[in-house]
Parts: sequence; structure tokens; C-alpha cells
Amino acid sequence: MDILIPDNWLRIYLKTKAKPEDLQKYLSLCGPSMERIHKGKTGPVYAIEITTNRVDSASVYGIAREAAAILPQFKIAAELQPIQINSAQKLAKKVDYLEAEVDPNLCKRFTCILVKSVKITPSPKWMQERLEDVGLRPINNVVDITNFLMHELGQPLHTFDYDKIKSAKMILRASLKGENITTLDGKKHILPGGDIVIEDGSGKLIDLAGIMGGNASAIDENTQNVLLFVQHYNPLAIRHTSMKLAHRTKATALFERDLDPENVIPTIRRGIDLLVELAQGKPEEKILDIYPKPYKEKKVSVPVDFINSRLGIKVTTQEVVSILHTLGFICHSGERTRLQNQTDPGQARMTKQTSQDDIVIADIPSYRANDVSIPEDIVEEVARIYGYHNLPSQIMAGALPQSLPQSPFEFEQKVKQTLLALGGIEVYTLSLVSKDETPTNSLKLKNPLGADSEYLRQSLVPSLKYVVGNNTREKDPYHIFEMANVYTPKKGDLPKEKMLLVGMFSQDFPYRKAKGVVEALLKELRVQALPKLKRLEDENLWYYEYETRALQKEAALSPSHQPIPKYPSQVEDMTIILPNGTYLGEVIQKIIKVNPQIKSVDLANTYQDTQTLRIEYQHPEKTLTDREVAFLRNKVIKLLTSLSASIK
Amino acid sequence: MEQQLHNLKNQALAQIMCASSKEELENMRITYLGRKGQINLVTERLKNVGQEERKVLGRLVNDTKTALEYALRTRQQELHHVSKKEWFDPTVPGIMPQIGHLHLVTQAIDEIAGIFEKIGFVRVRYPEVEWDWFAFEALNMPKDHPARDEWETFFVDASPSPKYGNMVLTPHTSSGQVREMERVKTPPIRMINIAKCYRRQSDNTHAPMFHQFEGLVIDEGINITHLKGTIDYFAKQFYDSGRDHGPTAVSRIRPFHFMFTEPSFEVDFSCVHCEGRGCRFCKSGWHEVGGAGMVHPNVLKAGGIDPKKYSGFAFGWGVERAQLLKPGIELDDLRTLYSTDLRYLKQF
Repeated sequence: MDILIPDNWLRIYLKTKAKPEDLQKYLSLCGPSMERIHKGKTGPVYAIEITTNRVDSASVYGIAREAAAILPQFKIAAELQPIQINSAQKLAKKVDYLEAEVDPNLCKRFTCILVKSVKITPSPKWMQERLEDVGLRPINNVVDITNFLMHELGQPLHTFDYDKIKSAKMILRASLKGENITTLDGKKHILPGGDIVIEDGSGKLIDLAGIMGGNASAIDENTQNVLLFVQHYNPLAIRHTSMKLAHRTKATALFERDLDPENVIPTIRRGIDLLVELAQGKPEEKILDIYPKPYKEKKVSVPVDFINSRLGIKVTTQEVVSILHTLGFICHSGERTRLQNQTDPGQARMTKQTSQDDIVIADIPSYRANDVSIPEDIVEEVARIYGYHNLPSQIMAGALPQSLPQSPFEFEQKVKQTLLALGGIEVYTLSLVSKDETPTNSLKLKNPLGADSEYLRQSLVPSLKYVVGNNTREKDPYHIFEMANVYTPKKGDLPKEKMLLVGMFSQDFPYRKAKGVVEALLKELRVQALPKLKRLEDENLWYYEYETRALQKEAALSPSHQPIPKYPSQVEDMTIILPNGTYLGEVIQKIIKVNPQIKSVDLANTYQDTQTLRIEYQHPEKTLTDREVAFLRNKVIKLLTSLSASIK
Repeated sequence: MEQQLHNLKNQALAQIMCASSKEELENMRITYLGRKGQINLVTERLKNVGQEERKVLGRLVNDTKTALEYALRTRQQELHHVSKKEWFDPTVPGIMPQIGHLHLVTQAIDEIAGIFEKIGFVRVRYPEVEWDWFAFEALNMPKDHPARDEWETFFVDASPSPKYGNMVLTPHTSSGQVREMERVKTPPIRMINIAKCYRRQSDNTHAPMFHQFEGLVIDEGINITHLKGTIDYFAKQFYDSGRDHGPTAVSRIRPFHFMFTEPSFEVDFSCVHCEGRGCRFCKSGWHEVGGAGMVHPNVLKAGGIDPKKYSGFAFGWGVERAQLLKPGIELDDLRTLYSTDLRYLKQF
């Protein structure tokens, strides 16, 4: 949640000589991140990021409270100023101006007060400017007061035109599915059910609580009597409704983070004061306050050595206590009491044993009750105010973990490095594809960004084909490849994720060279397999496709050594013409199998329909004589003749 | 006879070196290597020697032949150049062999993995399509918690697991934390998990598919200073290695909030362009790279590790973001990284 806080508003609650730049720097180091300072109508305005756990600091007062704890750590005096309150109305469980029935599961604290004879006018300039500086549009004094206080104290407020609630009755309850309400903005909402609503006793809904007020009870220029309304709502219910209706406002963001019910009273009292001051309102004498389960102080106890074990340094009990104190935690330090279990047959007896170790027991202020509940939370408070920048840096000692069995990473890296050396260009394409790029059983997203990225792919080929199609301007032949997981659905389980390597050659890439690339890759990976090239017929594109895990299993772990032959080989060329439809690759394999002394057969040259084979004869223990070579040659010729090849 | 062959070889080589014309060379070839040349004469005589000696001499004859053939060829080429007396232009452009290009993301991943492996981290990989439980619940983020809003998650249209909930595309590498605890069972853990992640967002600073690297360290006595030390080490290695003025990059941690760490931090690295003084890239001298924190005891428990005995830290950052902070790569739009235009890809 990002909020804007004008500097001159902040300084009403924070007495300090700190410069805006210092505030930005030091708060960012120890508290909320002040991302930017920009110029507003009232002076500098801070843009602050509030983390989800710190809704207590999402207000002018909340930031002042943080700053008052942090600045002194940097030797800058700072003092939090109290909230000025004149209102002295009594809190009452019953009032005569309103009869209220409240579901305590939906509303922990329900307060309101009737303020009569208000004069609706524009709000004063200072208030308008501050509202504008925080991105709000001034409307009239009554509405502006509620927005102003929400920003100042972090507690949303609402106002009703009292005269429009004819029965002077309110029932706060959960909505039923299908009930409807027209809100302030004129929109009619059909409710999902379970939303917090207020009805007037006749079945008519007058408020979609915490989300938006009802149109029928809204303040307008003729309003005279205002019902000022400040509550604590169930955060889950607020979140549920605001998500379902896709209606997200500052108020919903506050409510759904579970606000401090103790902050309700200062807020309503400030509201009364401002309605008196700026709208000449005449408040009733009692504030209706329905609060069946008041806040009970929560305590967290932490041994100081636990704090030190997480900080990696030694801080004293005194330092811990003083840091917590600046944050509003009341501390009791004491000695640790250990309960020790004694094994006594038949009877487990507990004995008390005290140790010298210090323990800090902290009373958690109500505004931090949701956020601070375990010793680690206290560690965070101490550490950040002490200053993370004041902690040393070191790499941990200790035993090293064992390596991953059958780690795929080194092999995958070698594949990529080899393809790099062989001229391949690596691409990364999106794993999410359209319906026509993947088999019908592919996994589908519930909330895709668009139809072109709705499914989890099971092949990389369509994606690479797409890349080739987008690079038609490329003049030279090229070879692209990608290594990525594909996702094969499995019933009742996560899909199988298969790491694939797919490479594709441009149309003008010569077939023999493409095949050579794959041959070289397999050779370098020490995989004994024939290269497999597949073809996309329509596009005349050749590609290869391997599962990297399978390749890794085939690959020899380390290279093996063959002694260099001591005796020279005899090499001769043989030019042949094969009958149509005969595969040269098969012919070569057959020739090699004729005799172990035929060391290799290569294609030396092709010219029209003739093919020149280069045959190497070699014996491991001697130089072959002319006669021996002739013998081998004759066997080859015999084989070729049987395959109806003619020899030139 | 062996001596004779050596003499013959030396004599022939000397003559070949001195030959001043092609004709002369051809004559020498006939004299030594011709059918009735000197070498063959020696070969004839091999018939008369004993088998053992013949073997040795035979090899020597072959060596001599090879040496002479090579000398003849070399001298011939030399004579060719000399005779032409050609003017040679060394400024002619070279012909580059075709070399390939690894994607910037791959280069970054390899570098990051290498840096952490040096200090004993084990690289692992966990599912990219994951259960809600590993992505959120085990990380101390219950269903409907507002903290989940930070992760714009893609949901898979598949029946949920009774045990683990919905099927999602993993929105962060943190999903691997509890899986790693389950794999290792007993610390020490030093994990580096680098993987594809997905989030439902696409703008200048976000691509729906991106990569993160996640570090997880769990052992007895792990504290914040270890996290700081590890982060600092990475910053220096990744941003400074190879620079001639030595390491200057520094890191800092600031308070932040994640449900799965306590305390939690935002991690900043000093700007490489201005070395932290503040410039038009960084404004403040710092760049945010991502989150970190001390592993929350609930997360340790979810992974079956006793939080009373062990503590740990974790961090998870974007690979793309970390790479884009390096000097030389200035992209206004992070999605440009995933362009498949060869004119772009060939630059790396």
C-alpha cells in the first residue's frame, strides 16, 4: 500500500528539526520505505510504501510515531505530539437518537454520534490543499473531514444524513445472497452474500459497510443532521466483498488489514471536534459505543540471548528495553524462569529453576497487536531500530551440504556451451501458448492474460517455428535453439515437467550442415547415438528435439582414450551411383559392417548422381598389403553390387 | 642401415631447403621418393634383414617419407610466393567463424549459479507448476490473506489436490523452500534455486514469465550477519568481478515485510554507474533488487525442521532485474529481454 504524507501535516504530530531528506533517508533505513519526495501545494510530500503488516503506520500520525522512534537513533531530536481532543462526550452502550443491533462477529466495535445543524460548505483552504496533496478531491466540509481524518489517523469514517434514516434504527448483519443496494456512486450491486450490510429495520439496505455508503442515506447539500460513524469491521468479510465486487478503495485496504479498535475513539472525537469547528455542528452528549470484547493487552516474552542469537551481536537488556520503549512497548525485564521436567516414575513433577539470563516481557500496544506476537517479531523491532547497517557482515561457517544427486545443471550448461560453439543462437519463448499451438489435453489457465497465452505448452516446436517466421529478413542461414520445460498433464497430480532441447534451422541452412551440427553436439556430449533431424513439411524446416535428462543418461561421464594407430591406414576413394530410393546412410553402415578393418567410410564428394566414398582400411597390428586391401575392396564391391549400385 | 637412412633424410632435407625452382624440386622428388628413388631402394633391402629389425626400420622409412613429403610441399609453397613476389595486404578484413549466442538470461543464470556454488550452495530445481500449499500456505500465507495480493498468480484449470489445494504457476522461487527442507531433512541447507516464474502482469518492468534466484540457508546459529555477508559477497562478485579498480559494490538491507520471513528485508545494491553517489539511473545511489529475511519459524515447521534448534535466512530476487543493473545493458522495457529478433539476440 502506497501513501502520500505532506511534510507540513506530518510536523503537526512530529516535533523535529530533521530535514525532509534526512527523514527520507533514515526512515527508509529503519522503517517504512520513503520512495520519493515530490513538491505539493503545502510543501514537500513523501511517497511511502507501507507493508501489509504495518497498517498502523498508514497515516500521518502513524508515520510520525515511527519517525519519533527512528530519528533519535541518528542523533536527531524528535518528539511525537499528542492528538489534540476537545470532545468530552461520554461513551454509552445505548443512546436515544439511534437504536442499533450489531453482529459482534462482523463488527468488533461500533461507534457513532449524531451531530445536528451542520452547515454544509466548502472546507477551508488548508484542508483542501492537504487533501489535494494526498490525491483526494475536496467535496464539502463534512465529506472532507472524513477523508482528512482517515488520512491523519488511519481509521476510515463514514457519515449518514440522519434524516434519511427514517426509523432511527440500524441492524448490522451479514447480507443474504442476491440482496441489492445502490451505492453513493449510483451503482446497483447484487451482493454475493456474507457482506457486512446495515439495514434500517424495514429490510432496506442503507450501507454496504466498509465498502461504500448507500445512495439513499448519503450527505447532500441540504443535509442538516449528520450521523458520524466509526467502526471496526471484520477484515475477512471486507476483503471478501471488495474482491467479489472488484471495488478497492483506501478504506477497504485499511479495513481488510484489521485495524486497531482502540483507535476508533480518538478518531470519532477528532471527527466531532472538526464538525463543530468547520461545520458549526451541535453534537449529542453521548457517543454510542458497542464494544463487547475490549482489547486485552498482549504480552510477548523474549530472552535477550535469543535476540542476540538472531542479530549476531551482543546488545544489552537496557538497549532492548529502551528501543522497545521508543516504539510504545512497555517492558518488564526479569530473570528467566525455566520449567524443568523431572522424570520421577509414576509422577512427573515440575520444579522451578531460575537462571541468570535476562528475559524481556513486552506489553504490545494495541496498534501493533496483529503484527507482533512471537519472539522473532521482537527481534525485528530491536534490529531495525538498532540499525541493520550497524550489524557486521560475514559468510557463515559450518558444514557444507551434500551435492545434488544426478544434478542436471552442469550437463545442461555443457549442451548450451556446445551449441554456442557450433553457432547456435539461443532463444527464450513464452511457455504459455494459444489453443492451436498445443494438443487439446494441455493444461489451461483459469485467468490467462489473453487467448494467445492460455495453455501450458507440451512442445517447443510451434514456438520456434514462430520465431523463424518472425525473422524472415535474416540474410544468412541460422540455427536457433531453446531449452525449456514442457508440461505433460497427469491425472490428479502436477504435470510432468520435461526439460527439452529443441533446435531449428532456417530454410536456407544446408541439410548436411544441419545434420553435422547435431552430430557434433552428440559427439561433444559423448552420446553414442545417431543424429535425429525431424522436418516440418509445410515450412520445409528441419529441427531436432531431445529430452535433456535422456541425453544425460546416454552420455559417458568422462572421455575415453583410444591409442593412436601405429601403422598407417590405406585410404581410397570409390565413386558409385546408387539406384533411386537407396539411402546412402544405410549403405555406409553396411560397408562398415563388412569387415572390422574398414575403419571409416565418409562421403567425400557428390556430383550429379555420383557419390564418392572415402574408405579407410586399417589393421591395428600391421600395415595392410596391397593384396589385403584388394581383398577388402572386393568385398565392398560385392556388397555394393548386391545393392544394385554401379561403380565407376 | 639405420644410420644410412638418417643420413639420407638429412641430405634430402638440406637439398630441398635450398632448391630454387619448381623443376629442381620435382627432380628431388623423383630422386628420393620416385618409384626407383633412394627410399624405395632402401625399402627393397628391408627384405634381407631380420623381422625385429625390419619392424623398426619400416617405421623409420615411413617417417622419412612423411618428412620429405612435407618439406617438398612447404618449399613449393614458398617458391610459389617468392616467384609471384605478391604485395600482401594485412589489412584485409578477417573471415569470422560462425559462433553462436547464449541468451542474456542464460548468461546471468550461469554466473549467479557459479557465484553461489563457490560458497557451497547446492543448485536445485523445483516444479514450475506448483501446488498452492508450497507457493503460499507452507510459507505462512493462509488462504484469503491480503499479503497474497503481491503475487499476481496464474491459476491452472485443474482439480485441486485434497492435501495441497489449487494448482498454480509458481509466482516465485520461494515455493522451493519447503520442498528443499523436505528433501534434505536435516540441515545444513545451502540452496540456490534458479527457475522460471510466472505472474499475471505485463508492463515495462514485468514480464508474465521471468526468472528468480532463491537462496536458502538453514543451520544452527544462522543470524542476520550471515545474510548480510552472503548478500555483500554476491554484490561484489556479480557487479565488480573483472573491474580494474577492485570491488566497490556494496549492499544494504532495509526493513520490509514478508509473511515467510521474520525479520524481513528489502535488499539494495549500490549503483554500478555512479558507485553509490547518485546518478540518473539510480537517483539515490541504490537499486532495489528484491527481498530477503530470516526464515519464519512457521515455515521451518512446515518443512519439518525444528525452529528451536535451527535458524536460517532466505532471499529471492529477479534474474532479469539483477542483470539489467549491470552497466551496458540499458533497456527501458524489461520485456525487450525476451525479444526473439535475431538482430537483438546476436548482440550477446
